[in-house]
Order: sequence, then structure tokens, then C-alpha cells
Amino acid sequence: MKKEEMGLEEALDNLEQIVEVLEEGKMTLEESLDLYEKGMKLVKLCNARLESAQRRIECLTGELPPDLS
Amino acid sequence: MTQIFTVTDLNQRIADRLENDPRLHDLWARGEVSNYLHHRSGHRYFTLKDQGSSISCVLFKGSALSLNFELKDGTNVMVFGDVAVYRPQGRVQLVARGIKQDEGLGFRHLQMEALKKKLAGEGLFAQERKRALPLYPERIGIVTSPQGAALQDVLRTIGTYPARIILSPAQVQGEGAEESIASAILALRGRADVIIVCRGGGSTEDLWCFNSEIVARAIFACDVPVISAVGHETDVTIADYVADMRAATPTAAAKMAVPDVEEIKEGLRSTKVRIMRALWTNLERKEERLEYLKHNVSAKRMYSLARDARQRLDILCQSLDGAQAEKMQSLKSRLELAKGRLTAVGPRATLLRGYAIARSEKGLILQAQDARPGEEIELILGRGRLRCRVLECRDDSEGAL
Repeated sequence: MKKEEMGLEEALDNLEQIVEVLEEGKMTLEESLDLYEKGMKLVKLCNARLESAQRRIECLTGELPPDLS
Repeated sequence: MTQIFTVTDLNQRIADRLENDPRLHDLWARGEVSNYLHHRSGHRYFTLKDQGSSISCVLFKGSALSLNFELKDGTNVMVFGDVAVYRPQGRVQLVARGIKQDEGLGFRHLQMEALKKKLAGEGLFAQERKRALPLYPERIGIVTSPQGAALQDVLRTIGTYPARIILSPAQVQGEGAEESIASAILALRGRADVIIVCRGGGSTEDLWCFNSEIVARAIFACDVPVISAVGHETDVTIADYVADMRAATPTAAAKMAVPDVEEIKEGLRSTKVRIMRALWTNLERKEERLEYLKHNVSAKRMYSLARDARQRLDILCQSLDGAQAEKMQSLKSRLELAKGRLTAVGPRATLLRGYAIARSEKGLILQAQDARPGEEIELILGRGRLRCRVLECRDDSEGAL
């Protein structure tokens, strides 16, 4: 799955895993820097998701009432 | 010999029989009001019915004065009166002298209890069938009236949570409401991660459609968890029993459906701190290891590892904001220190010949100007190190040697 398509849940799950692995601290410096970068990217991604949230309302039977769109 | 009656005589005879029966006088009859008519004359006509039968009732103007509630269709009542025959039509009727509201279970309630029993028997309410709600739904289906306040409440509560909201409009009261709700629910199959079926408060009559079998079965047939929120706290409908979750109000339903955006943000902030701290701890551990290894491992290699890490940190720093950058800066200086120690490992052989490396907090001291009088510096010798205080900084251009 591409990063752009990653859902909030998946991103948060990945983030949780990264933090756990990082906190275990059983990797090389190189790996931990990699994970750090990945983690920060995910934090950014999640924040972006939450910030850019435009409410998208669809109606199954045609038009939405004008006051909802 | 068989007697031949005129119709009038026959009705008279029936009337005599019934009206003279003392057990058909001063009686109470319980049922639901329907076909209610408040006649111009002031008399009230209605049919009293239960599940299996009905009887005509009349409440004459004079007796109607004692009514202390509004009589209307659907009301469960206790009627006090006498049985009489309306002779022109041979119709048996109950002449009411008093009516009070029936606080007990009416016919419809009995019907609902029966349905509840049946559905429970089929396992529609089974606890083990209830599904857990998704933590972060991306598609939220809502079954309700587009005009209702319930929808507004739900939308307001979902707030800025990033999800697609799919409204499946339904008529939530009146004739045809049951079918409308059921098909609106079924229309959401395969289109949502969680479904909210809701309606604002109303009379028991208004909410009754949520007690229907067709709505119950539609909820049961859903492929994703359903949250029901019908009426207020005290109104519990069959839909509530079948749903995976019951919310007291539409607002409460929305709260169950989505996580709090602010909470997620707060979580992200603390995750960020954890990641930083973990990296920090990792670096510290590496440093300790470096310390341990430096006597055994090629200094050159370790040095280059440290340099690489530093470069990475430089790059990272550029993408971080102020507070983080500061933290990273201190990580960097720690690395700098580690590097310093490594450089010390390199020329170990030289040191053993009597040279020393002078170092301050700022780094290596290569010339007198690198230190200040009074400053504490470190001298690294072939074996061990000295902590020293500078007495004077003299800049001899030719050098002492």
C-alpha cells in the first residue's frame, strides 16, 4: 500500500510498533535512526490527516439537503 | 312451534337479555382506543379493541365532562360502563360512564413483548453476536431523517474526525416508517465501517417503528457493527436490543463511533516524545558500548560510524522544529564528545610516547586560544587522564618545541 493511501488506523498501528521496537532498543544505531525517521514521518502523516479533515458527506439517494453540504 | 320475530322484536329481546344481565353492568373493560370520533353533539364515539376483538363504545356528552385526559387513537384505556344494544342497528355497545388511562401494558406492548421473545429465541439479541466497533472508521453510515435534529447532533459530534459520512435517508415516523428504515439500513451494506441508526426524542407512538420486526431483521443482517440511538435515555426499543451497541442519544452514538480527534493528537504528541526519548536512550547505549569497545576495535571504523550518524542527525535536524532541534543539538554534542574520545583512541601509540591530548568542553585544544585561564580542561595521556585548570594562555608563535 502506498503511503498516501495509508489510513489513519494503519498509520497509528505502525507508529505504535515503531515506538515499541525503538523502546526495546535492540537495533543498531543505523536502524534506530531509520525507525526514528519513519516514526516522525508517520506522526506528520497522521497530523496532516487530522488537520486536513474536510467533512465529506454523501447521500445514498441523490441530493443532500443544502444546509448539510 | 318456532317463533317468528320482527327485527325490532328480535333486537328488543336481545337488548332485554343483555341489559338485564347484572354482570354486564358497572363493569370495567380494558383495551386500546381506535376510530375515535368527537361528534358535534358532544358525544364521543370510538372502538375499544385488543389483539383479537373489538367493541363499539359511546361516551355521552354528560359523562365526557369527567374526562381528565385527551382521548385519542392508540391510547390504552379502562372503560367503566354498561353493555347496551343500539336497537336501530342491533349493535352491541359499551356505554361508558367513566374512562381512565390504562397504566398497565396495552395490547401493543404485549405484542412487542411477544416479538422480543421470538427474536431473542432466534438469537438476534445474543451477546456473543455483538461485534466490536472499529477504532478508526473511515466510512460512517447514518440512517435517519435528513431533516431531523438527530442528524445535526451526530454530525456535530463527529466534528473534524476524518471520515466519509454516508447518509442513508429514512422516514423515521408515521405510515411506512418501518419499511423505510429497514431498507435504508440494508442500503448501507458494503458501504460503511460502522452504522448509526438514530432518531431524536418523541412519543412512544413516534418511536414505535423501531420496535418492528423488519427493522430488527435489517439491523441483524448488517455486515458491520450497528449503533442504535432512538429517542431518549429511557426509551429502549427492539432495535436497541439487536444493535451491537445501544446509545442513549444520537450524540452519544456519534461519540461511540469515532475517537476524539484531540485525544489522537495528544497521543501523537506523546508518541513523538517517546520516539525521541527512545532514540536518545539508544544513542546513549551505543555511546557506552563505544566506550567499552574503543580499546578493542579499530578506532577508524568507529569514528566513521559516528561521523555518519552525525550527518544523519544534521539532515534530520533541518526537518525538525525548534524544541526538537534543540534536543537534537544536544544529541549532536554528545556524539561530538564520543567522537572526541575516539580521536583519543587513534593516537594512542603516540600518547604512549609521552604526548598528551588537551581537551575542553568545546573540543580539542589545538592552540592556546582554545582555552581560557581558569577553565577546567582534560589531558588525555598514554594511560589515564588528568583534570587540570588553566593558569595562563600564552600564544608563542614559534612554539615551545
